[in-house]
Amino acid sequence: MRRFSLLPVTVALCAAATLALAEPAVTVKQVELRATPAADAKSLLSVPANTTVDLVKREGAWVQLKSGRVTGWAKLFDIRLPAAGSAAAKNSAGNSMSQTLNLAAGSRGTSVTTGVRGLDADMLRKAVPNPQEFTTLETWASTKEQARTFASAGRLEARTLEPLKAAGASK
Amino acid sequence: MSRRHRRSLSAVALAALAVLLPSGCATTDSPQPTESKDVARSALGGFSIGGINVGAAVGAAQSTVEATREITEPEEVAMGKGISEGLLGAAPLVKNAQQQRFVNNIGRWLALNSGRPDLPWHFGIIETASVNAFATPGGNVFVTRGLVARTTTESELAGVLAHEIAHVVQKHHLADIKKNATKGLLLDLASLKGGGLTGEAARAVARVGLEGFVRGLSREDEIEADRIGVVIAARSGYEPFGLVAVLQTLNAMPQSDDAMALFLKTHPSPADRLRALEAEIPAWYETLAKPNPALVRYTTLFKPKP
Repeated sequence: MRRFSLLPVTVALCAAATLALAEPAVTVKQVELRATPAADAKSLLSVPANTTVDLVKREGAWVQLKSGRVTGWAKLFDIRLPAAGSAAAKNSAGNSMSQTLNLAAGSRGTSVTTGVRGLDADMLRKAVPNPQEFTTLETWASTKEQARTFASAGRLEARTLEPLKAAGASK
Repeated sequence: MSRRHRRSLSAVALAALAVLLPSGCATTDSPQPTESKDVARSALGGFSIGGINVGAAVGAAQSTVEATREITEPEEVAMGKGISEGLLGAAPLVKNAQQQRFVNNIGRWLALNSGRPDLPWHFGIIETASVNAFATPGGNVFVTRGLVARTTTESELAGVLAHEIAHVVQKHHLADIKKNATKGLLLDLASLKGGGLTGEAARAVARVGLEGFVRGLSREDEIEADRIGVVIAARSGYEPFGLVAVLQTLNAMPQSDDAMALFLKTHPSPADRLRALEAEIPAWYETLAKPNPALVRYTTLFKPKP
């Protein structure tokens, strides 16, 4: 397909967070692939639960999925990403260059085999307090004013929102 | 001094503290609506005094004060410092001032939009490949290098930090420490009256706090921190689905991965958390998720091109 000839250009143009490479995803329910990321948009294809599709990208609450020749939008909650090496990952149309896309570029699914021990229960129990590191931590703290300047530079505007309710019947 | 005698003295000291110091209830001077149900529950939690028979040591009126006493904010901050020093003894800070300042800016901004904007907040990336994040009482939040590496956007990193901030706002670890407090720890708390935790007392507090990280919080606390964290991130202007995306990533990591061992042992499964958030986040939240090109600054700092 034409898409593959465009791949190197795409990689060169895109920032890491928006790599345009597909990766496998599995539907967790019957999913409508919609023409645009909106609940009332036209459904292009109905995909059954437990179908492996390609995840193209995430935009907020929506993910762009590709099933066969059809590309459309579904909710981020409608899919799960299969673990690397799983059957679903291998069955994907995505090739070996497949990278996670806007979800966890590169590092996801790779076991840590460096031989370096991670932070485990034993290390926490045997830790010798390090007050010097806390002093260092304090030197990096932000003031309220610095935080507001940072938010402003990132075009982050505070909004008033009510607390969310706990889901009583969640399993 | 006999053990019993010391115990009595510490109970008296605690009772005196309770009278002298103002309550350490969560500050609610944020312009945002508070998590009223949750704060009420926390306030009613009181201070379990670990089975010490206070009534035998002090008068009835004092014991009533003692039994319902909240740990004050200065005490909470001192405890959190001690536990943080212990955690930093297990995993030191990543020596990258730019990244550390960036994380502090995100975190402080999120905290300003939380129920406790005035705590002395500190945020740090700690040096380990393990995927995890920690909060200690009083406003200290730590995220591992391994978890930062698995985020791909500023909104995702903010989602993780907001979850930890929610633990501090709801005093989850503080309640856990109270619940699991030994008599020894209560003696240490009494020593706070002199200002600050030092020596063996500090080490004892740190031990109890670090043991809490090994044991993990309840599923209820974690699910609540997810729910409140999503709101904190959204109130701060971030698209609200960053945490959801991180949970999707973690859900896809092999369960056998060494980097995930402690995290999986001490948290509900990412799949469980995703189901809960799906039920709790209203559909209209998608309107809060507008693309924000200004946040490319995260990519520049954390995912630099070779």
